[in-house]
Amino acid sequence: MELKVIENATCTFCGCVCDDIELHADDMRIHQAKKACILGKSWFLNHTAEKKYPDALIDGQPASLDDAIEVAANYLYDADMPLVYGMSNTTCEAQKECVAMADLLGALLDSHTSL
Amino acid sequence: MGGKVTCTLGEVKQRADFIVYWGGNPAECHPRHFTKYTLMQKSKFLPRGRKDRTVVLVDIRETKSAKAADHFLQVRPGKDFELLTIMRAMIKGQDVPEAQVAETGISIEVLRDLIEKMKKAKYGVMFFGMGLSMTRGKHMNAAALLTFAAEMNAFTKFVAMPMRGHGNVTGADVIMRWQTGYPFGISLNRGYPRYNPGEFSTVDVLVRGDTDCAFIIGADPGATMPKPAIDHLAKVPTIVLDPHVTHTSRLSRVHITTAPAGIAAPGTGYRMDEVPMPLKPALNSPYPSDEEVVRRIKEVIATKPDWMTNQPQMIESQV
Ligand code: SF4
Repeated sequence: MELKVIENATCTFCGCVCDDIELHADDMRIHQAKKACILGKSWFLNHTAEKKYPDALIDGQPASLDDAIEVAANYLYDADMPLVYGMSNTTCEAQKECVAMADLLGALLDSHTSL
Repeated sequence: MGGKVTCTLGEVKQRADFIVYWGGNPAECHPRHFTKYTLMQKSKFLPRGRKDRTVVLVDIRETKSAKAADHFLQVRPGKDFELLTIMRAMIKGQDVPEAQVAETGISIEVLRDLIEKMKKAKYGVMFFGMGLSMTRGKHMNAAALLTFAAEMNAFTKFVAMPMRGHGNVTGADVIMRWQTGYPFGISLNRGYPRYNPGEFSTVDVLVRGDTDCAFIIGADPGATMPKPAIDHLAKVPTIVLDPHVTHTSRLSRVHITTAPAGIAAPGTGYRMDEVPMPLKPALNSPYPSDEEVVRRIKEVIATKPDWMTNQPQMIESQV
């Protein structure tokens, strides 16, 4: 396994979004997150590239990604008042897709901020 | 919070010689805020770093952050709005009855001294956390603090900034504002965006039971929301996108595992001062990114007939 060093990586655990983290990683996990604080360190070190969970679950049963996408789209389309919520631990690119989807659905759209 | 008087953290680092933290605990929730942006940094304008800066903490209890502050003001729980309003009156030299000041838990002498210091500052900044904006008064408290900061500009430069947490919530605000004109609490059910927190905010919608399908991404309301809201999520078809099987996944009909943003998925995240930062993932995930999954769901929906012209219950004149 090859050890990679990523300089000036970005931590998104809290609103500080520190962009000076030095990550040491192999294919599977991050071994070191230099300059990150304890919260950032545990965030970086707790995620791995392992396949810990099934691709998808439908009614609690393992399912394929394609099926899950189809089922999700149908539930959302069939609803009279769907809700799109969250968007905290994700990228702006994904958030943009969420807004476009909510627009298409005529949905409610909301984030953590409203709590 | 359009029209707020604010700045970037870079300016705070370079210039802020008077720093107020109101209702937040940066020492434990934003551990590098002090060292990276506010307290410890030296700059051209503040060559002695910490010695050139005055730090005030306002909170209902003495947290770890209090140790780092020069002055700690312990406000009575639920009295933030009153304290802010009293201070707004005092900076303008208006009379405030001492009995009312005493109710906030802080003496008038302390306030007089604080206001004098604030007016003498060259560049003041007020950071406010959830202790202000999530307690009694909620956004009215935040609005009072923002107004206070704006009014301080009659005397010296002052700005305000919310201490945001939870990953990329700032990005969510920015993206929704860009796409719909509003930051959160939006309904698109008339085909155009409407904004009404309290009516369209998720907790209220769920507690009232006003949704019949929930799509949850990058959040775990099943662990954080009040019980009636969680019960409603379990009742309707809920769809969850998350790198882990979460509490919400367990009560959902569909869970899709995605790559964790910033660790295995690339993209952009916003800092609390609304500066966008590129993410540099270190790992390759066996799972797709949130972006890809949402786009694919959206594409499937887009192949179906448009809901607005096809809903039998639509009123003719609205179409
Ligand atoms: S390293 Fe610490 S302070 Fe910086 S963004 Fe991550 S959690 Fe926040």
